[in-house]
Amino acid sequence: MTDDAGDADELTDLDLITRWKGGEDRAATLLVERHAGAVARFARSVGARGDVQEIVQDTFVRAFSSLDGFRGDSSLRTWLFTIARRLLLDLRRSERRRGEQVEVQDTDVVTEYDSLDTVVADETRTRMQAAIERLSRTQREVFVLRVTEGLSYREIADVAGTTEGAARVHYHNAMRVIKEFLHE
Amino acid sequence: MNDCPNADVRDLLPDLVHERLGVGARATVAEHVAGCPDCAAELELLRQFRATRRTPRVDVASIVAAVPPYRAVARRSWVGWRAAAAITILVAGASSVALIQRGTPSSIRVGTQASAAPVSTSVVPGVSATTPTLVAASPEPLPRIAIPNSLPTPANIAEDPAAVPVGRELAMGGGAMGDLDDHELASLLKDIESLDAVPSIDVESTPVSPIGPSAPAGP
Repeated sequence: MTDDAGDADELTDLDLITRWKGGEDRAATLLVERHAGAVARFARSVGARGDVQEIVQDTFVRAFSSLDGFRGDSSLRTWLFTIARRLLLDLRRSERRRGEQVEVQDTDVVTEYDSLDTVVADETRTRMQAAIERLSRTQREVFVLRVTEGLSYREIADVAGTTEGAARVHYHNAMRVIKEFLHE
Repeated sequence: MNDCPNADVRDLLPDLVHERLGVGARATVAEHVAGCPDCAAELELLRQFRATRRTPRVDVASIVAAVPPYRAVARRSWVGWRAAAAITILVAGASSVALIQRGTPSSIRVGTQASAAPVSTSVVPGVSATTPTLVAASPEPLPRIAIPNSLPTPANIAEDPAAVPVGRELAMGGGAMGDLDDHELASLLKDIESLDAVPSIDVESTPVSPIGPSAPAGP
């Protein structure tokens, strides 16, 4: 690998993919470093609990295994979100088949959040977390992708397998629920 | 906190947070937010929400270690397509030959058996005017029912037995099914099974034209 850190920041995802295909293992590391955090945030926000690392790792393994199918029509991050979402859905389905509890209960959201973060959550963070847990799964996905990750409605539609208009409706409904919760 | 009626601006607030707006759109939204307390409150909410989202810790090294090495997807070569095409042609040819062999006129096979045991056919009117009865012309040779390729009506058979075309013929001993021995019955069944189609003539139920001078006039 001939690139230093400064050069790596200037490389696009497609550049790094090309380099990885050319045998530069360092390119894979840079891609993981660039997107793993966002994938982890998304996974955590839409329901992953103690298995965030597993979800993120499986997401990248699947992505790198099928990079020939990535045409660059959407951003790599959007594609990674799509893979992570499918993995989470599969995981939840298998948990349901085994009879495990899937949905996080409202009563233990804050406790779970606090236990997973070493830093004591301040009141704002706690309330935000509690508010987003009021959302339906689809509303949560859309809201997190829109607000936390800054995706457009078009990109959100690609990730969630819905339409741009439906994504917009889900976002505004989610915002209404959050406002109502925060002003109770 | 109320919702601003300007949905277009509200749609763009997350983009303003992420600095994804162009210069013109950014100026428009910022100007609106400056004069709209509802949008200003919503924008603040979005910023708080984004700021409070924590990124879970992930082990990048273990993820990279799990990433498989790149393997280009091998595309099918023209050799493969040619082989597939050749196999398809061979299968189609073999199927055609098999169909042709199955479609060989049964008269050839049945006729061979018939020539070994020459019989004659005679259909005479029975007791019932509408139900003809097949009887043997004589005990020897065995009578038989002629099943022509072009199926004639029973009336035609009666009027001109010689006109029965040489074709599918089934031997029947004694002129009745009950008179057949096991071998003859088996041979008959085999011949019936070898026919391309079951003849449409049903001598038991098909209404036929009256035969003979004593029969009433037909329709």
